[in-house]
Amino acid sequence: MIVAHISVGRSIQRLDEHASQIWFGRLDPRAKLLGVLAFVVATALLTRTTLLLASLAIAIVFAASSRVPVGHLSRAYLAALPFVLVASASVFVFGGAEKGLNMWMRVSACTLALLTLATGTETFNLFSGLRRLKVPALLTTLLMLTYRYLLLISDEYERMKTARKARGFAGGRNLLDRNGMRVLSYTAGMVLIRSSARAEHVYEGLKARGFREDMSMWKRSTIALADASFMAVFFAASVVLLALQIEVVI
Amino acid sequence: MHIPDGLMDPIVAAIGLVEFLFVVGAALVVSRRALRDKELPRTALLSAGIFVAQMVNFPVGGGTTGHLIGGALFAIMVGPAMAIVGMTVVLLIQALMFGDGGITAFGLNGLNMAVIAPLTGWGVFNLVKPIAVRSKRLGEGMAVAVASWASVFVAAAACAAELAVSYAISSGAYGIAATVSVPAMLGYHAIIGIGEAIITVGVIAYVHQVSPETFLHRAGTNTSRSGTARILSSKTIHATIAVLVVFALALPFYFLYASDGKDGLEQTVAGTGVSEGEPIAKSPFSYGESYFAALFAGIMGFLAVALATLGILKLIDSRKMSG
Amino acid sequence: MLETQDLGFVYDDGTVALEGITLAIEEGEKVALVGPNGAGKSTLLHLIAGFRMPFTGKVTVSGMDLDRSNADTVRRNLGFVFQDPDDQIFMPTVEEDVAFGPRNLGLDNVEERVTKALKSAGIEHLAKRRPHRLSYGMKKRVAIAGTLAMDPKMLLMDEPTSGLDPRSRSELIRLLRNMDKTMLIATHDLEAAAEIVDRAIVLNVSSIMEGSMRDLVLARDVLEEAGLEIPPVSKLFDALDSMGYQIGALPVSMDQAVAELTKVIEREGRHVHAHVHEHNHARGDASHAHPHKRAPLEDLSKED
Repeated sequence: MIVAHISVGRSIQRLDEHASQIWFGRLDPRAKLLGVLAFVVATALLTRTTLLLASLAIAIVFAASSRVPVGHLSRAYLAALPFVLVASASVFVFGGAEKGLNMWMRVSACTLALLTLATGTETFNLFSGLRRLKVPALLTTLLMLTYRYLLLISDEYERMKTARKARGFAGGRNLLDRNGMRVLSYTAGMVLIRSSARAEHVYEGLKARGFREDMSMWKRSTIALADASFMAVFFAASVVLLALQIEVVI
Repeated sequence: MHIPDGLMDPIVAAIGLVEFLFVVGAALVVSRRALRDKELPRTALLSAGIFVAQMVNFPVGGGTTGHLIGGALFAIMVGPAMAIVGMTVVLLIQALMFGDGGITAFGLNGLNMAVIAPLTGWGVFNLVKPIAVRSKRLGEGMAVAVASWASVFVAAAACAAELAVSYAISSGAYGIAATVSVPAMLGYHAIIGIGEAIITVGVIAYVHQVSPETFLHRAGTNTSRSGTARILSSKTIHATIAVLVVFALALPFYFLYASDGKDGLEQTVAGTGVSEGEPIAKSPFSYGESYFAALFAGIMGFLAVALATLGILKLIDSRKMSG
Repeated sequence: MLETQDLGFVYDDGTVALEGITLAIEEGEKVALVGPNGAGKSTLLHLIAGFRMPFTGKVTVSGMDLDRSNADTVRRNLGFVFQDPDDQIFMPTVEEDVAFGPRNLGLDNVEERVTKALKSAGIEHLAKRRPHRLSYGMKKRVAIAGTLAMDPKMLLMDEPTSGLDPRSRSELIRLLRNMDKTMLIATHDLEAAAEIVDRAIVLNVSSIMEGSMRDLVLARDVLEEAGLEIPPVSKLFDALDSMGYQIGALPVSMDQAVAELTKVIEREGRHVHAHVHEHNHARGDASHAHPHKRAPLEDLSKED
């Protein structure tokens, strides 16, 4: 499930840069967040097969038309698959084919929508959107700072691993390999120590630039026609799906 | 154990969200003063560090690899409140940047990995530590190991329980049947927990050795204070409360499950239309019997380990004294 | 502009970092703080910026005495450029990061400030780029731009030339030399200091000496003890001087060297050969007669 993170630095950078080149990436983040949230919430509440089919179809069309890199999208989806498969399989075994299929469709639709949002939005932009949606400054500032240094620290970690390999380290392949596990944990320990040490400098850096409480973007987007239409489409779809679901139950 | 959207029953997800927001809110309030100043960048940097540390993968046999969750590690390093906030940041980034873990399921994911894991880790660590350090050979490392394992195992038990409840109350539309979720989650994570324990012990030992000022919370003896003050502020009390909180979080789910009237196995069987005599899947233990069994397994798990540890320590101690 | 009086600072473990530092910097001055590693140069800069408390003595910035309660206010007048630019670049694009400072301080005309700062640092073409991808030298410029955008009265710079490749280093030296800002530069790169500043303070926990760069370069024993190397230009003229090549004042920077050479040429009334050729010093070869003041070129190689 965390497999997708392994090449954090490079993949995220590429995605972030790609995001500004596609129509979806240029939408106001608030519109994207609210639209996708509505869709995911609605889909999570669906249990009727036909509705789930519709929802999955919408998700696929969304993902395809957004122009996010397919390779990354599929890799991320596959990373989430184990949980989904176990769930679907167990429902299939105990509850029958239809329920199993429903489970798979529902999780896939939600995951696809969320992944499209994630890969198609520049990260800082996304966090900035959260802030503008009134998420507390403390949290969004933490998010932005953590993200900013995540790339740096992950680069440092990659260098450490290379240096390790250059010294002939090939261990850590076995839980019982005591020396190997020790080296693994020492590397992790080193990462944490360096992170903590840098924190002192970052604090001074922030203060030296007059930082007080809120980290926010200077150039902000405004809600335009494209954003409003995006939201309208997704809200409409969500409402319709929910209405049909509830009607059926009652 | 990042749960995607659409897997859990909406009511379970909603309860999880409410509980999670409550606990995170409390954690933010507790650490607010610190976070306003120097601790803000420190929490961010350590969260980034933990994120990267989570990328360390260790083999768990059968060609699969496991990853560090880091809840216990974080809590032992900076204390429970800060760890809850930090782990929440990590989970948010994972959900919003990688789609790892859903948004409607965020409450449950947060509960399991950002609340239960660190609280259990910290609680067990502080409960076991005073006893563990009496033995010179095993010492603090033992406490760290037990705490880390417990943090993973209990979080997994919580996740299994949530899946089981989702399955039971939705007549099989959501969640995973207890007969599958409990053994799968507990079995897999019992082994993952070992890896987590080994790595966490190594990290803490390394940090202690190289740069102890990284630690915010130093385990110290408060001998200077008066008796009652010492007892009230003691880490042991706080730790006990933390562990109790973890299990209290399970109560709403239990009542939700129990109120439905049917227990897990009956639900499972009724859904397939097979008579009770010939179950499709039968597990060696009667996990499916009641949701509470999942919870119980969690408690039993870490109690067993703790008792075993104490037992071993007592043995070593007595042998040393006689020998 | 900046004044310290008998400044002292002790680390948590008891080691004395700074002792009895008294200095004064006027507006418009460029001063270098030189000394070996561990001398306390960086600590002094951090202290002036209000990051090392408590300290003994007084620090006055723009008429304000620094203490715990007004550190933030005092910092508004100072632009601190760290040694590692990654410690002070926070935003995803260069222009966002340069705007960070002025926005936090609530200054107006952010757009204008950003453009001006980018221009002063020579990086307008990098405005939309991501800092993460830039070279170390460029990142240092971004950090400088971000500091300039806040319009500080004085710049504090911690080892600005360290870690730079030769090209970036000379570009940065040129940038700082031409910049019209009061600055205090902590460095062990004497050559860079000589090109940029008017005077220097030698520091090793306490102040060893103070004076113009030339005073410094002439004080050989001080430099020796401080583990500092004189600029190559000075070394060259030193060598020439020992060969009898009369010079006026010892040059410490390239500009001074060129000025000195020009003076000498005019004084001697000769032109200087800049080409290489085989010539034989046969008597009577009038077409190429030029008296050698010293030993012929071939002998110079024997001196070391």
